[in-house]
Parts: sequence; structure tokens; C-alpha cells
Amino acid sequence: MKQILLIAAGEWRYWLRSRLALGSAFIFLLLFFVTSVLSSWHIEAQSHSREHHQSEAEDTFLAQPDRHPHRMVHYGHYLFRTAAPLASFDPGLDMVTGQSIFLEGHRQNTVMFAESAASADFGGLSWLSPALIYQLFAPLIIILLAYGSIAREREAAVLAPLMALGVSGHQLIAGKALALLSFILLMLVPLLISSSLALNRGESLNALLLLAGFYFIYLSLWLALSLLASTVFKKRASVLLTLFGLWFGLNLVLPSLAVNAIGSESTAAGKIESDLIMMADLRKLGNGHNASDPAFTKLKADLLAEHGVDNIEELPVNFRGIVAMYSEKKLTKVLNDYANKRMMAELQQEQALVRFGWLSPALAIAAASRAIAGTDLIHYHLFQTQAEAVRFNFVQGLNRAHAEALSYQADINRNKDEDSWKKARVDASNWQVLDEYEFQTAALSERYSNAAQAMRMLLAWLILAIAILFWRGGSIKP
Amino acid sequence: MKLQANSLYIERSGKQVLQGISFSVDQGQVYALLGGNGAGKSTTLLSFLGFLLPASGQALIDAKEVGADIGAARKNIAYLPESASLYEHLNAHENIEYFLQLAGSAATQAHIDGALDQVALAPDARLRKLRDYSKGMRQKVAIALAILRDTDILLLDEPTSGLDPNAIDEFHQLVRQLADKGKTILMVTHDVYGACQVADKIGLLHSGCLVGEFSAEDGNSIDTEVVHKAFSASAKSPSKISQTEPA
Repeated sequence: MKQILLIAAGEWRYWLRSRLALGSAFIFLLLFFVTSVLSSWHIEAQSHSREHHQSEAEDTFLAQPDRHPHRMVHYGHYLFRTAAPLASFDPGLDMVTGQSIFLEGHRQNTVMFAESAASADFGGLSWLSPALIYQLFAPLIIILLAYGSIAREREAAVLAPLMALGVSGHQLIAGKALALLSFILLMLVPLLISSSLALNRGESLNALLLLAGFYFIYLSLWLALSLLASTVFKKRASVLLTLFGLWFGLNLVLPSLAVNAIGSESTAAGKIESDLIMMADLRKLGNGHNASDPAFTKLKADLLAEHGVDNIEELPVNFRGIVAMYSEKKLTKVLNDYANKRMMAELQQEQALVRFGWLSPALAIAAASRAIAGTDLIHYHLFQTQAEAVRFNFVQGLNRAHAEALSYQADINRNKDEDSWKKARVDASNWQVLDEYEFQTAALSERYSNAAQAMRMLLAWLILAIAILFWRGGSIKP
Repeated sequence: MKLQANSLYIERSGKQVLQGISFSVDQGQVYALLGGNGAGKSTTLLSFLGFLLPASGQALIDAKEVGADIGAARKNIAYLPESASLYEHLNAHENIEYFLQLAGSAATQAHIDGALDQVALAPDARLRKLRDYSKGMRQKVAIALAILRDTDILLLDEPTSGLDPNAIDEFHQLVRQLADKGKTILMVTHDVYGACQVADKIGLLHSGCLVGEFSAEDGNSIDTEVVHKAFSASAKSPSKISQTEPA
């Protein structure tokens, strides 16, 4: 053990004297600092903006005067997704999915960007997040530090006298690995400091530690790959070339190929195509605005029988409101079925992409990081599902007011004259149907379970690399 | 401690580099292996360090096969490689300190200075990084390290390469002193004159075969003329030399 510690200390001394570690750390910190500040500022500004818009949207809805309740159904309401606490570290899909949705009756609208600035990326650089610095650039720093660790000693012919002292290949590798591991731990400090801001926004410390743990495994994998290459190749130039090639292939080419392959394999219908099919299904349900639509004949008969009356005018409730409620329920079921199918198809695509993590650890860490940060597809779907629940509740609340607070007579005569128009209004107190909404990320246990597959991939990569490294370590010769 | 090669065959990359050589170095003796480039001199040293294991035959230290416990064998050996391989980003003191710590021994700064005095490394150079050293200066640091390790066996690979004539003389004196203190020394060289000056025995190696062996008798040094002739002849026709084997 003493020899391993000495070799590790010797490696640090080399880094410091060659200014390699200082230079690498400086570049890394600079990149991380710039992206962290920009990302935090961006997310913070968006969060404030969304909170402001959310409260404004609620106030505006509630401030509406006495009206016909169905006008309020179409007046609609906006829902804003507040950023996950760790989104400033890993914005994940938030960068491309949008964070606001317009809720109204009879429709499930698409999530969109609240402001044009949120989706504007004229320089094409908004993708550079702190997480990406760890996923893409940190491996390069590890490569720069590790590529020469064994090859340098071999080139300088120091390996022979070193091993002649009784230092084994395994001890040599362990010493170098220890130095690199300590560097990786230092590299994770900025991650912990920057993401600790998330603690103020309600994130748990365990989530931060888990995130740091994943990145530790990922960077350790690059450490093992770099040491392995340094052990296998005799010349430092060959090691560096191989590792840069590997980095380029695993971190840039393979993920890009994987996305293209999955896109071309996808059998899911496009938005327009699936909307047209859905519209045809919705038409079969009848027109909820028209109480005389044959689709509601049975509803009418059942209701008359239930109340023991002969016509809808005698009903104690407004039949048009009942039809609106009935129609919205049926329609929502169809909308939800289509939404679930679409989400399932998207999830399958995402899972297919994550499976490429067996080939590219960069894809695995990206998936794990998004899952823990709460910025993955599952959380995007969670927002849509929660938004739909809010939409359904407020629309049905208004439909209930339509059925119970407005008489059928007043309703059907609303277009006769000005006075009738005024009579077909209900009190604004009926607008108190909005659920208070704030988007919450899933519990950590759930996020961990979402990240488990990616973590298994990273561990498999790491174990394989260490096993080969251990095997090669036994056969290191001067 | 005694070094012994018994019918030692070594293969490197499928090629027979040593072809059944046998020799022995007793405690307190200096054995010089002479030979041209590619004769197998360095390979012989590496086999005693366990870096190369014999295809057949044995490399023995005190009658124990090196391959049986490589770690134990290396503990008894100080190895001075041909290129005086040390760390360029460290100074002489730091290099020696680091290598000694790795070997599990320690030395005070005074001891290190003492060893550097022995090899005549100028005091003002000792705190300069080795990247600014000449080949000869590096060689001196490596020799000082070998001295400080204070092992029973010294394996020296072209130890005087790069040294100036005065330093070579001083080095030979140092080697002799170490042998007289009971160290077992095996050095490989193509410096015939140096070998004759310092060695108790000289082995002539050609294409992996020991084609001649010469011994000093009764405290006299080996006749340089005889060895030189044999060395030159071995390059032309090794079979003739093998018949002149005197020892």
C-alpha cells in the first residue's frame, strides 16, 4: 500500500510540475463556471417568469366577470411547468420540450415554450450545460492526465528500474489510478457546490450525492479506459490518438448514430397523421355543444327516467350542462388513450436510445443524469399527465356550474335578446374551480429506479474495463 | 550472494536471444559480459530481474531460481539501466529519495549527498531538474542510487556509457570498492579495456552464446590484448573463440 501511495503522490508531483493538472483543472473550472452561471441564470429567470405567469394566469381566470360557464371553458387557463431543482445542472429535455400548456375544454393542447427567448438558440450553444461539461469535456481532461501515466514511464525507460525495485504492474496501475481518482473527486466538488443550490429549491441531499456518484462512476470508467490504453500502447502518441478516437466515437459518433437509427426505425404515426385519426374517433362521440345530437339520446332517456319526468325542461338540472359533462368525460377518455399511446411510443424510443448505453457510456450517463435531475422524458410526461388532470377538473367544474347554476330555459334562450343574454350568466364565484398547481419532480426513489438501467450499464462498462486493466497490469513489462 | 546462469535459454518475440549460456558470479566478484550489439547482454541482466523468464535452463540467485519468487530476487538487486532512466521533472535528490522510498528503504539528505559525493556530482547541480543534466550526470545519479540501495547484487547495464574518461576511472574504482565490500556485480559492456581493468571474470557473448571466458588470477587483471583479440575474432567467427575458452 505504501508503494501505491508513493506512486500516487509521485503522479501528483508530475502533474503539478508539468502544470498539466493545473492547466486541465483551470480549463475545466472555467468551462464549468461559465456554463453553470449561464444555466443557473437562465433557469432562475425562467422559473421566476413561469411562477409570475402562473399566478397571473390564475388571477386573470378568477377575475373574469359573470359569464356563461361554457365561455369560461373556452376562455381556458395556462399551466406553467416550474423547472426541477437540478435543472440548472442538467436541463435535459427541458431545453427542447417547452414548459407551458394552454388548457381548454375538449382539447389536449401541445406543450409549448412560454416565451420566444426560451427556445431561441441563435448561436446553437444553449446545449452547453454543466452536465454536458461533465459528460463530454471531463473525459477529455481525464484522458489528458492519464494517457501518459504508464506510456510516459515506458518511453522514458523508467519502467525497468521502477519494477526492478519490486514495484509490480498492479501496484503501478493502482498508484496511478489512485492519483486520478483523487483528481476525479476534486472534479466533482464544483458539481456538488453548483448543484447544492438545488437544496434551497427543495431537492434532497441524497439526490445530489447520487448524481455525483453516477458521474464518479462515469469518470472512473474513462480513467480505466485511459490507463488501459496507456498500458497497451508503447508510445504516448498512439495512446492519445486511440483515446481521442474512442472519445470521439463513444461520445459523439455513436450517440448521433443511435438517435438517427431510432428515428428511422420509429413506426409511431406523426402528429398530423395521429391527430386526424383521433379527430375521426372524437366525431363518433357526438357534438357536446349540441344537446340534440343522437349520440346523447340514451343519456337523455336515462336522465328523464331517473328524475321521473317527460322532457328535459322539467329536469332539475340543465341538460346542456349534463351533456357537456358527459361529452367531456367520454372525449377525455379517448384523448387520454391517444396521449398514453403517444407517450408509450415516445418512452419506447427513449428506452431504445438508452439501450445504446451498452455501446456508449455517454448515452448511459446522460440518461442517468436526466433521470436524477428530473428533466427526462418521464418527467415531461408527468407534467402532461398532471396538466391533463388539472384541465379535466376545471372543465368539469365549469360544466357542473353549467348544469347546476344555469337553468335550461335561460340557456337555450340566451341568444334571443340582450336581456336573455344577461340572464344566461352565472356568478363569477363559480370560477373557483382551479386546482393550485406547482410541478413537482418525482420522489428520489422513483427517479433512482428510472436511472437504474443506465447505472447498470455504467457499472458493467467499469467492471469490464477494470477487469481488463487488472489482467493487463499483471503483464506490464519494461 | 552468488549469481548463476545454468544453460540459460531466453526467447524474445519468438527469437532465441540466449542460447544456453552458463556462468557464475561469486560474492565479491565483478563479472563483465562483453559483446557487440544484440549479443544478448542486456537480456541476461533482465533474466536475473525476472523480466524475462527462461525457455529452459535457470537464472539463479543463491541457488534459488529467480522465477520462483521474483519479488524476493529484486529486493536483493540494484539495477542500473543503460540509459540511466530517471525522472526528468525531479532533481537528483528527489529522484534518489523517490526510488529509495519505493524500494522500501530510506536515506537522509546527508547520506544522499555522501553518495553523490562518491560519484562526484557537482553540489550545485544536485537541486537542478534532471532535464538539464548531461547523460554522464544522469549516470552518476543512477550510480549513487545503486550505492544507496546497498543491495547484495548489482546489475550494471553499460554503466560507463556517456561518462568522461575521469569519471570512468572513478566509476571503476567505485565498482572495485563495492566488490571488495562483498557485493556481487554483473556488468555488461562493450568497453574491453574497462572490463579488463575492473572485472574478475569476463564472459564473451556473441549471438546469445558464451563464446569465451577469461579470469584474473592472483590479483592480476585480465590481459586486455588477449580479450581484445578474442572480442574482435568473435565478431568474425565465434566458433574459433569457443575453443580458446581458458577458464
